Formats: sequence, C-alpha cells, structure tokens
Amino acid sequence: MSAPVALITGAAGGIGAATAEVLREAGWRTAGLDLRPSPTDLPLAADVADRGAVADAVDRAAGRFGRLDLVVTAAGYYEDGIDVGDITTAQWNRMLAVALGGTVNTCAAALPYLLDAGTGTVVVISSELALAGSTGDLHYVAAKGAVLGFAKSLALEVADAGIRVNIVAPGPTDTPLLAPDSPWRDPAYLATLPLGRLVTPAEVACTVLHLATEGRMYCGDVLSPNAGAVI
Amino acid sequence: MASAARPGRSGIALVTGAAQGIGRACALRLAADGHTVAVNDVADDGRLSELADRIGGITAPADIADPAAVATLLVRLERLAGPVEILVANAATMAMGPFLDQEPEDWWQQIEVNLSGHFRVVQAVLPGMRALGHGRIVVIASEWGVIGQRNATAYAASKAGLIALAKGLARELGPQGILTNCVAPSYVDTDQLRVDAADAGVTLEEMRARYRRLMPVGRLAEPADIAAAVAFLASPGAGAITGQILQPNGGSTRARA
Repeated sequence: MSAPVALITGAAGGIGAATAEVLREAGWRTAGLDLRPSPTDLPLAADVADRGAVADAVDRAAGRFGRLDLVVTAAGYYEDGIDVGDITTAQWNRMLAVALGGTVNTCAAALPYLLDAGTGTVVVISSELALAGSTGDLHYVAAKGAVLGFAKSLALEVADAGIRVNIVAPGPTDTPLLAPDSPWRDPAYLATLPLGRLVTPAEVACTVLHLATEGRMYCGDVLSPNAGAVI
Repeated sequence: MASAARPGRSGIALVTGAAQGIGRACALRLAADGHTVAVNDVADDGRLSELADRIGGITAPADIADPAAVATLLVRLERLAGPVEILVANAATMAMGPFLDQEPEDWWQQIEVNLSGHFRVVQAVLPGMRALGHGRIVVIASEWGVIGQRNATAYAASKAGLIALAKGLARELGPQGILTNCVAPSYVDTDQLRVDAADAGVTLEEMRARYRRLMPVGRLAEPADIAAAVAFLASPGAGAITGQILQPNGGSTRARA
C-alpha cells in the first residue's frame, strides 16, 4: 500500500499550505498547484484559471505518484472595500475565473482519475461569506457562492461512483489574504465572534483531513470552522 | 495536531444513551482516542458494565428525564473521576405515529427525554466545564430535526429543539471556551431501524433497502461513521467549530440545510 496522494491548489500559502502540512504529518504525499512554489512533495506552477495548464499539472501529479485520493481547491484571493457599483468588469471576471473557474478546472482535470479508481474525495474551500453575505466584496461572495452550488451538485452527480465532494466554509482565517489592516482583523469585529478570534489555517486543514479520512458519509455537506461567524 | 492530547487540565467524556447503537460507538471511539468515558443509559442491564469494562470506563446509569437522578449522577462522576470535559448528548426515545393519533403522553415523553433531559444534563455538566475553562458538547441530532418527517412530529420537534439549543449554547458559551455542535445523521444501521420497519409494516431487510435508495451514496451509515464525526468535534483540530451541524448523512438531505 503506497501512501495516499493529495493534490492541493493554492498550496503555496495560507489554507492550502496548512493543508499540505497537516496531510504530510498524517502520512500523505502532496502535489501543490500554485503560481508560486509550494511546500509540497511536487510543486507545480500553474494558474488555476488556465484550464490547459491545470490539466497538464494534474496529469503530471497523477503520473508521478500513480494514484490520486484527494483534491483540495484552496486557490483564491480576496479583495474588499469596494462598493458594488465600483467593481470593474475585469475585477469581476478575474475573481470568477480564479475562485469558480479554478475549482471547476481542477475538478474537471482530476475527476477522471478518481472515477477510474472508484473512490476519492474532493474538498472545495468556500467561505462563510457565501453563506451569510457580506458588503464591499460582492464579487468574492458571488464567486464563493457559485462554488458552493457547483460542489453540492457535483457531489450528487458522482456520489454513486464512490466519490465524495464536500465544502469547507471557513470564517475569517489568519492568512496573508487578510491584510494587516483588514477589517476582519479589527478587535471590535473579532469581539462579535462567539470565539472572539480568527480561525487558524491549521484548523481549516484539520477539517479537510477529517473529510478525507473519515468522511465516507458526507455528501455535499458544508463544514464550517468559522469561530461562530455563521451559526 | 489531530491527536486527542489537549493542553491544560482535562476531564472525562460522558455519553448518554451508550448501551447500544450510536452512543456505544461514540464511547468506543472516544476511549480509543484516549479519553476516560462515562457511559450512561436509563439503567444498567449488563450492557453498560460490559462496555465500561471493555474501555476502562465508568458506568453512569441514570434516567436523564429525572432531574434528581441527573444531579446525583454528576456529583458521583465528579467525585470519582473529575469534571466532564466532553458531553455526547445522544440518548433518545422515539415513537412513530400520525400526529393526531399519538397519545399526548407519548408525544411529550419524547420531548421530555430527548430535549428536556439533555437540557438538564447540560446544566449539570457546565460547572465542571467552566472550572476546566474549556469543554465540548456534541449533540446527536437527526436529519428529521433538520427537514422534518411524517409520523415523527415529536421526535423531529425534540431534535430541532436540540439544534436550536446547541446554537444558542454555542453563542453563549463560546466566549468561555465551551464549544457546542450537532451531528445530524440520517439512516444509520442500528436497532432503530426496527421501529421504522414496524411503522412502515415491512421487514427489517426491506427497510434497509428502502433507506439505501434514499441515500445518494448508496449505503446506510454505520454507528462508527457517526462516532468519527463526534470524535472530530471533540478533537483539538475542531477548535474553531461551534454552533454547527455536521451531516454525515450520505447526501439524503442533499445537504439543503
């Protein structure tokens, strides 16, 4: 039995990097798709918005390790403080291309390997903002909401093929995506959370690990390590 | 990171309704993860002792619908093994029948045990959790508490009440380091299926087959699947999860809630 293999997008930092670390500690082998080099066993440079580049990278990972057990789509970026009327077409399109398109491209490239194996797990990273709405970041919220609908439907589509697709919707997490002056770091905001603090990337990663190792009965579920931001 | 070891003082785990099914599986799993587990059910007919012996745990028989019995139990447990750090609120009673046909006593008995019983258990364990400065409450809810079910109005109401109770507790107790969550299973291969089969007037095997057809994943959950979700919620890695409902239900609700 060779060690299980995870392919993680956005693996160079934040939630993606923490997921790679937690999985490696648990004995997994990891491939990381990112624009930048990632702390994984197989760093692969790719823009997740580029369907061809993603397909090449996924093929390389599957070829290198000979198996694929888990796909985690964590690639993304955040922009806020923009009134909805001021979100440019370019900003809107890029956000959708990365957050939604990146998830779709990665699933499209990886699913044939999971389907061949008749088993496997996909964990899509969405956001608590997609559950509860937000202001000043409508393009991000819309993209993460689209990811939620996509993943729930994909979960039903591949359930009887033995593939589990689920969603993790973190609350504000202590990653470089939140600028030092981000309102999500404001103590006044944090005081409104039942747990009074940001989520750690490792806590999101542990949720992914649970879904990957003991999650055979989850199908299209949303797990929310969010410090109580959305209850 | 994902080990059961926790910094600071630790307490025991208490599982209600542990004589069989999901409760028993939770006790086995939490013990395997390194916790000392007190196993509760309405009485010890031999199954609690057998389980406690097997896992090096503590028998904790008490009718959770009886406030005095709950209070006495917690005093005894605290003296014997220390405060409760992890509560698995699992015990439940269920009687199926059309709403207008159920005797009011039978209807209310389900609320009394499932909802009010656990209200009292939570009251009783909270001083210990507060003394520890942390705690985890995991409520075994039900798909039927999320989306409702015909011929199960009382059971669904009791479970929906538990979900709302857990969400309120999460908001109220989060600042004290006490996390409260629910696990809402759908069809689990336990003796409960016999009740459902009797209500539907079919054999147990036919009931299993019917339920499997309702599950996008094509199989019923085993009690160990539900216990795994409980163990995760009790683990350090779940430290940012509170007020949530985990639904390892095979997609039966299409996760619509």
